[in-house]
Amino acid sequence: MEHTLDIRDGAIVFQVSGRVDESTWTAFGEALGDAVRQARQAAIAEVVIDLSNLDYMSSRGLRVLTVAKREADEAGIGLRLAAPNDVMREILAISRYDKLFTVTDRVEMKQ
Amino acid sequence: MLVRFWGTRGSLPVASTAAIVRQKIVGALLAADGRRFAGAADAEQFVERELGFAAGATYGGASPCVELAADDSAYFICDMGSGLRSFGLDSMRRNGEGHGKVYNFFLSHLHWDHIMGFPFFMPAFDPTAVIRIHAAHPDAEQALRRQQEEISFPVPFDWLRADIRFVQLTPGEDYEIDGVKVETARQHHSHTSYGYRFTDGEGRTAIYSTDSEHKPDNMEDEAAFIDFFREAELVICDTMYSLADSVSMKEDWGHSSNIVAVDLCHEAAAKRLALFHHEPTYEDEDIQRMHEETIRYEELTRQGSPLEVICAYDGLEVRI
Repeated sequence: MEHTLDIRDGAIVFQVSGRVDESTWTAFGEALGDAVRQARQAAIAEVVIDLSNLDYMSSRGLRVLTVAKREADEAGIGLRLAAPNDVMREILAISRYDKLFTVTDRVEMKQ
Repeated sequence: MLVRFWGTRGSLPVASTAAIVRQKIVGALLAADGRRFAGAADAEQFVERELGFAAGATYGGASPCVELAADDSAYFICDMGSGLRSFGLDSMRRNGEGHGKVYNFFLSHLHWDHIMGFPFFMPAFDPTAVIRIHAAHPDAEQALRRQQEEISFPVPFDWLRADIRFVQLTPGEDYEIDGVKVETARQHHSHTSYGYRFTDGEGRTAIYSTDSEHKPDNMEDEAAFIDFFREAELVICDTMYSLADSVSMKEDWGHSSNIVAVDLCHEAAAKRLALFHHEPTYEDEDIQRMHEETIRYEELTRQGSPLEVICAYDGLEVRI
């Protein structure tokens, strides 16, 4: 699992690639938590998680998203899932996480 | 080892209604589209091959009770939900054919849906039956006696004629019970619940892990479950809620989800997962959809050998 962090259009874009599974979920959680903390410190209103390059995300990764969202909610920061590829779109649907999170087709909100 | 599911519904027993049965019949007639059948066997094949499970059958509605049949010397039963009544009557038939009248119960926990069948367990009135109730809860006897106090039930516990003994188990210890190795492990649930690992004389293992919540805050604890499930031929898991529900509106309700069960089984290299403890508000179509989605999730996330995903229903028999 690899990730990059970028500030774009007033949001932190957290792009993750590879697999988030039993061996990488801890690192994913730490990195995502850092992203939320950076957003809070910089008064950035949104963290966008780009799912386009993920091979897959297990239930551990999905629950990490939940933990991150709780931290983000407490800090008044929006957390959005963006650009899920076909596999991630299915996983979000099967887990019903597409009902729990805002999911957009694109990372950017502005056209 | 043969595993028989006598009750697979969580929280509360449910029953089909006349309207639901009628709807299934109408659906089957439309699917048959005027076809003529040579007889019952021909019609059964049509139901088996051309109707989905929800359309041609039902997952049932009895609350949890699962039998593990290693041999004919003794019975092994997980939980005493309402499905226990049917098991009890069937066991009396088998006793008449020479089966040993020793009943080894293993209680996951003491909530009502998991003990409500015992007052209707007919072998408990047989003075020649031996009933051993194994539980890691020290208050198992209190829970069973209380539900048969007069305010709740007309037949007191003390009227039961069988030789009834309560056996306290300790998580982490191994027990040899009538030829089966039994281990128990603590799970997260209100008033605690316990999972069981059964290994027969041939080394085949079945896991019973119900009413076990896997919270986002405690994911490090899942290593213990992966070890407990390791290489099991069959893992029976609480898959009552979607993952989203289990971490939001139903957090702390003490139950798990289908995709957590798949992930744990993948990591444990288990061979077969049985979805269990179905949500009582689910109709058969909802359970079938959940089963299909779980099969798809397993395909999407599989790294090693395939994990067979089956969906428990009242009456299912699985040989391992």
